[in-house]
Amino acid sequence: MSQLHSFAHWKSAILAVFTCATLSAAQTAPAREGVPTLSGYMEVHLNKEQHRPTEADLHRFVLMVGHSFTDRLKFWSEVEIEHAFVEGAEKSGEVAIEQAYVDLMLHRRFNLRAGMVLIPVGIINERHEPPTFHGVERTFVDSVIVPTTWRDTGVGAFGDLGRGFSYRAYLVPGLDATGFTAEEGIAEGRQQGGHADASDPAVTGRLEYRQAGFTAGGSFWAGGSGFGLIRLDIETPTVTVGSIDARFRRGRHEARGQWSMVHIGGAGDLNHALQLQSGNSPNIASRLLGAYGEWATRVSPDRWTHEVVAFGRYEVFDTQNKMPDGFLKIDALRRSALVVGATYFPDPDVAYKFDVSREWNKSEGVRGPWRLNFGVGWWF
Amino acid sequence: MMHLLIVLILASGQQAIRPSGHQIIRVTAERFAFTPSEITVERGTVIEFHLTSDDTDHGFRIVGSEVNAEIPKRRRGETVIKYTADTVGRFVIECSRPCGAGHTSMRATLVVK
Repeated sequence: MSQLHSFAHWKSAILAVFTCATLSAAQTAPAREGVPTLSGYMEVHLNKEQHRPTEADLHRFVLMVGHSFTDRLKFWSEVEIEHAFVEGAEKSGEVAIEQAYVDLMLHRRFNLRAGMVLIPVGIINERHEPPTFHGVERTFVDSVIVPTTWRDTGVGAFGDLGRGFSYRAYLVPGLDATGFTAEEGIAEGRQQGGHADASDPAVTGRLEYRQAGFTAGGSFWAGGSGFGLIRLDIETPTVTVGSIDARFRRGRHEARGQWSMVHIGGAGDLNHALQLQSGNSPNIASRLLGAYGEWATRVSPDRWTHEVVAFGRYEVFDTQNKMPDGFLKIDALRRSALVVGATYFPDPDVAYKFDVSREWNKSEGVRGPWRLNFGVGWWF
Repeated sequence: MMHLLIVLILASGQQAIRPSGHQIIRVTAERFAFTPSEITVERGTVIEFHLTSDDTDHGFRIVGSEVNAEIPKRRRGETVIKYTADTVGRFVIECSRPCGAGHTSMRATLVVK
């Protein structure tokens, strides 16, 4: 009986997937001005990591609502539920506003944006719809070096500079250094717009070049991160993130790569201060480094409208790349990984994904795990 | 393979214009930009836009005109629009179909001299 019940659940889920795909195909008319629009994306994953239980996860359910007040005044938002549900103080999911901003279009080269914005660093943070990247999970670099989805309240400008160049630049609150860790760098220091302390502001921006299937970008984030340490007698830690990336698509081939670095100024003092607070040194590095290169080729015949794409990616993600004086590197966190897999697109907006990854590190005692991932993601 | 061809021939309005030429312009849409992002033509030019997408379906709206067409998804064909550029000025082209996180900034400019 329970098996039948379980099958009914899966049948409902599969029907829901195909219903969404059908709606996507049928919804062909462009949006009408002045009418709010609804779109979104979802990702369901099945992950098996070596020595850990197999895990099924509705990783992301995201709804996007937009509205044009006028041709010059536009609203856009993105509301996400992660891991299917949120419950009390237990470790479960999260409900988050990932974007909610108003654009004031003034000129091709200069427009204003205010609200909750995506930090324009790297490829994935601003382009994270599941069919836009290969692999079930986002890259390791875009998890522990550039902590996607990275967003905050802010105000700034964006525009098209001509000759293929465009930019975005925002003023946002800084990071909370008390959340920094050896394993995931600055990820837990994100304030994400909720009662964010803006006493240590940061600037972030991206300059992008785009031409005939080729896109390259350089981006940065720079600011203070010390407000969480306000009662401790140390200099305010500063964080600088720099990243360059490029994507290329021609015919059945795609390539992309990214190099990202995080510098934490005052990491030594920060470690001492946090050790005084908690009793343990977090061993935060002064430099984190990540890079990846990916190649993908459509292997299905040209006559097929649906597509099968094979890909391979090599990543280096070292959250202990350089330590402050007096601190030793944790070699198990100096990691690299090879990810190979395939994506099946029955429609350009629906991606069935499979990949295998092998992780290595510089430790002699800790072995990096194998992972096997399956997933389906769709955009509508 | 399914080919989609939509031809919209737009009247050039009340003003009698003798077209100064015919120009084919190929525009590729991809989250979240049009390539090229600036198109310059002489007044009176009949533009034949050939619109394709590298990912999902997008909209192609010339703000202030009746043009608001859908660009089909990757490898699902192209949309062809004929448009007579009969007014001098700078015109905003925007994506009119929600396409993702950076949808509102997906814009291009049509310059008519």
